[in-house]
Amino acid sequence: MTTALVVGVGAVGTRAARQLIDTPGVDRLLLADRDEGQLAEVARAFGPDAQAVDFAPGDPIPADVDVVVTALPAGVDHPVVTAAIAAGVPVASSEEEHDALDQLRVLDPNARGADVAVGIGCGLAPGLVDALARHAASMFEKVDEIRVARTGWAGPASVATVRHERRVPVRTWHDGTWREDHPHGDSLVWFPEPIGARDCRTVTGATALLVDAFPDVARIGVQLGEPPKRARLRRRFGDDGEWGAARVEVWGRRDGSFDCTVYGVVERTAVAAGAALAVVAARLAGALEPRLDRPGVHGLGALLDPVPFLAELAQRGVRAAAFEGVAVA
Amino acid sequence: MKVFKRLLIVLGAAGAVGMLARVRGKGGVPPTTGGWRELEGPDFR
Repeated sequence: MTTALVVGVGAVGTRAARQLIDTPGVDRLLLADRDEGQLAEVARAFGPDAQAVDFAPGDPIPADVDVVVTALPAGVDHPVVTAAIAAGVPVASSEEEHDALDQLRVLDPNARGADVAVGIGCGLAPGLVDALARHAASMFEKVDEIRVARTGWAGPASVATVRHERRVPVRTWHDGTWREDHPHGDSLVWFPEPIGARDCRTVTGATALLVDAFPDVARIGVQLGEPPKRARLRRRFGDDGEWGAARVEVWGRRDGSFDCTVYGVVERTAVAAGAALAVVAARLAGALEPRLDRPGVHGLGALLDPVPFLAELAQRGVRAAAFEGVAVA
Repeated sequence: MKVFKRLLIVLGAAGAVGMLARVRGKGGVPPTTGGWRELEGPDFR
């Protein structure tokens, strides 16, 4: 019997919970959220296999939990992940803010010592794009550069994180070393249709997770688009989540020449992030094969083999696309 | 005085153009050839 504890039932957590409850290997969901009204509503909607529990970050993980799933605002995951490692339970986290990701990466020795696998940055970007970058990189003899871009946001917490990332000084991976810089202006990035061209800005984001996964790549950059103004108000009046898109470019050498592979995804951001989070959680728990059991704290570029992950997401309706044509350097 | 006013107008216009360029972004070159193909079974082997 496989039991998953989902902490946070906002835009991403609710989608992840729905995906988990639709996964044949998952038998029971425990749901936790500080908003008791929202929690009760979600638990009721998911039927008898879902149960609301009184759990808050800092509490010990309840008994008989096989995997912990966190979909919380930036910086709140740390105590939950710490408790899960102490309990020997694997974790899938949707954390995407760079300082919070660094705090989770620091837990790597603890996770290795406890023989626990922790997946962080499990969303659209970071997350799905890291797996796409791994898939694209496997086609090259040597990778020189990886560029990741995303437009779209899941819920109010996601909007706040994107705004924060676009405002603060940037750390980029350039010529094999970290470089600090102030945020530059936006540049146009072409996503798959119907999203098309959007202004995006270089941010720190989850660059460190890509550097962990691709330590030999000289240049790695992450860009984020700007959220619309009054996002909360728009949501209140029926705009139930933004369409998002992500794009990854991998530049390198193959067959003796310099070449590029470009992958992209278009989906509602919360849906894509929830599906990616749920698939990682189900595989950490052994409810989906192949099981993820690499101890330590990893982003998806380092944690998993991209092929079965992308195939599983495609079955769930989150499909990636490849750009075929002349990519522009 | 007239020269000073003209200088202010020129500086103001230059600032407005600069702001517009910043808001609109640095731009890029659109990928004019090619398109997106959904990844399917063979891509996952």
